[in-house]
Amino acid sequence: MAVETDFSQDGKKLTIKIKGRFDFGKHQEFRDAYESQPRRPDSVVVDLKDTTYLDSSALGMLLLLRDHAGGDDSDVRVVHASSDVRKILAISNFEKLFDIS
Amino acid sequence: MTDMHIDHKVLSDLQEVMEDGYLQLLETFLEDSERRLSQLHGARNADELGMAAHSFKGSSSNMGAVGLAQLCHQLEERVKERPLYGIEDLINRIDQEYLEVQRFYRGERARVSTG
Amino acid sequence: MPAEQPLTVLVAEDGATDRLLLAQIVRRQGHQVFTAENGEQAVAMFVEKRPQLVLLDALMPVMDGFEAARRIKALAGEALVPIIFLTSLNEEEALVRCLEAGGDDFMAKPYSAVILAAKIRAMDRLRRLQATVLEQRDLITRHHHHLLNEQRVAKAVFDKVAHSGCITAPNIRYLQSPYALFNGDLLLAAFTPSGDMHVLLGDFTGHGLPAAVGAMPLAEVFYGMTAKGYGLAHMLREMNAKLKRILPVDMFCCALLLNLSVQRGTVEVWNGGMPDGYRLSADGKVVASLASRHLPLGVLAAERFDDSTEVLPLAAGERLLLLSDGVVDTADEQERLFGVERLRAVLAANRDPVQLFDEVMQALERFGGTPRDDISLCDIRMFTVEERVPAPTLYSDSGRSSPLDWSLGFALRGESLKRFNPVPYLVQLLQEIHGLRPLTGALHSVLSELYSNALEHGVLGLDSRLKRDAHGFADYYQERARRLDALVDGFVRIDLKVEPLASGGRLIIEVRDSGAGFDVQQVLSRPAREQGLSGRGMKLVGQLGSSAGWREGGRCAWVQFDW
Repeated sequence: MAVETDFSQDGKKLTIKIKGRFDFGKHQEFRDAYESQPRRPDSVVVDLKDTTYLDSSALGMLLLLRDHAGGDDSDVRVVHASSDVRKILAISNFEKLFDIS
Repeated sequence: MTDMHIDHKVLSDLQEVMEDGYLQLLETFLEDSERRLSQLHGARNADELGMAAHSFKGSSSNMGAVGLAQLCHQLEERVKERPLYGIEDLINRIDQEYLEVQRFYRGERARVSTG
Repeated sequence: MPAEQPLTVLVAEDGATDRLLLAQIVRRQGHQVFTAENGEQAVAMFVEKRPQLVLLDALMPVMDGFEAARRIKALAGEALVPIIFLTSLNEEEALVRCLEAGGDDFMAKPYSAVILAAKIRAMDRLRRLQATVLEQRDLITRHHHHLLNEQRVAKAVFDKVAHSGCITAPNIRYLQSPYALFNGDLLLAAFTPSGDMHVLLGDFTGHGLPAAVGAMPLAEVFYGMTAKGYGLAHMLREMNAKLKRILPVDMFCCALLLNLSVQRGTVEVWNGGMPDGYRLSADGKVVASLASRHLPLGVLAAERFDDSTEVLPLAAGERLLLLSDGVVDTADEQERLFGVERLRAVLAANRDPVQLFDEVMQALERFGGTPRDDISLCDIRMFTVEERVPAPTLYSDSGRSSPLDWSLGFALRGESLKRFNPVPYLVQLLQEIHGLRPLTGALHSVLSELYSNALEHGVLGLDSRLKRDAHGFADYYQERARRLDALVDGFVRIDLKVEPLASGGRLIIEVRDSGAGFDVQQVLSRPAREQGLSGRGMKLVGQLGSSAGWREGGRCAWVQFDW
């Protein structure tokens, strides 16, 4: 599965892992990952350890996720991004919206 | 039940498939097969003989005349080898077999017309 | 046993017995049957009845089954008409012949009704599959034509919106795919009334119509506000708010905005999400890069949007190179990217500015990447004063009722000085006066100059001698931002007075500030160059108006226009 989800023990933290290319092809799977959860998590972690590439539609998907998770009140973190992926996030200054590490 | 000449299972299947058309099939076969036999006799070369035998084999087998079909098959194969010794012998046996077949199907036709 | 779907079937068999038998078997399975006695008849029957399935005897007189099959397949064209050969041939070679002649399957004699029914069903599945494929292909083709047409219309509408631009000005060179709009790439340029040039290089997320649709409101704001003389910050706020409001959450527009002012010798830059732009010296060396410091347009709500710009010096002859991400992101078969280093190598090696584009395109080609159709390049040379083309003014009335005897005072105080620029509104107001319309450009220049002097030197107390060199430039604007942010008190007041004259009228503009003033006599006695550096360029202003001067110890500047 290219998009994997995982809940923390207490069900408050949702982790979404993207494998391979994070592009428009992942759109539906990504949305299902956070929309089809029974409860809204308190925080969301997007794990990009195995993500090879990110394009502008992926940036759009992150914005959708942030909007769903509460907009300005959301807690969305992007972790384990490779240096290539970080560069893409940096050009768009997404660290102003997401905690990126 | 199969005798040497006719496969009766094939025949009963034919009757079932053809329904009311069974009689017409019998008549068509009787007419058609006579023509095929003269085609066989009138063949001018080995190829024509082979093709006539092949065709006759086909319709005979469809009608359940297994003995006839078998002999036509032998003729078809035999014709491929040269020289054509003993071919007349095989053709004679086909003539003989055909008489049996013809007699049987005429009987069938008579049976169906009345019954 | 009736078939799932009745078909029309052609039975071609030269033996009368076999033909009769086979036709009956097939009919009994629920299909409609046509018969033929030889190959020639079979082809003729196919043309006439167009059956969906053909049972074909291999050996027939007049034309054999193989030739008939070839012809029938040719006549069937794209559609699949399954052909089942009827044969007692059992040599491998003969069977292969059947398949190579176009046969899809074969049936041996004696015929088995059960096997025949199964084969017909199987062949029909394939036939229907092929029919579905063709249907979907035709549907897709129709949709594609619709889409192309929609794009054509969208492009035509967009071109009307974008026509007022100055993208063809002599100091701009650009390279853009004709399908740029539909790749989300936007390139807009227009002059302000006072002859400054605004440029926007944009990249919408997504391709196709969504990108084109977002571009239209953006272009309208850009051209409308530029023509009225609004500054970049205000335009950015408007564009961001508009896109935020109309675009879905996951759509946004990366953008690089420039304001080139030959009068001030500067370029003002805002980059949200676009790749680095480059500032090049007159001989083509990379002097600075214009990096992305903001989120793209349409992401942040108005309260959180950052409209702060960077100001860099740009002398006549110096250039800016802007590009969309198609250049740097061009990838080769191993998915390696062309990248920033290769681009900078091309820039460093370039000797003749006119060749730069070609050299970049050649480098991309040599790199071996698949050519992308979303590559936009823009080379802007800082123009000279003579090359300025003030924007044509937009009138919405007939000009018959011009007010000629009035006055207006407008004072901006304290916090309002931080974000609001009153100049465009005042210029619009002055356009109500018919006789002043040809002077709109000059009015805009003068009011902008006096207002900015009053704010920066008067209220904020900045000394423009700081702007002597590139380093000082950055310091100046940093300091400006800091002092403006910390501002609590202060004002700039603009008074306009219009009075009729015998054959025309007179406009008097007075701009006052709450600053300390300056020693007018001393400054005016300095040589012109130094005067310019002190930023109180009254000589320049005087050239534009009928007369100009200072009052109130340097705290009030006045200009008079007669017409």
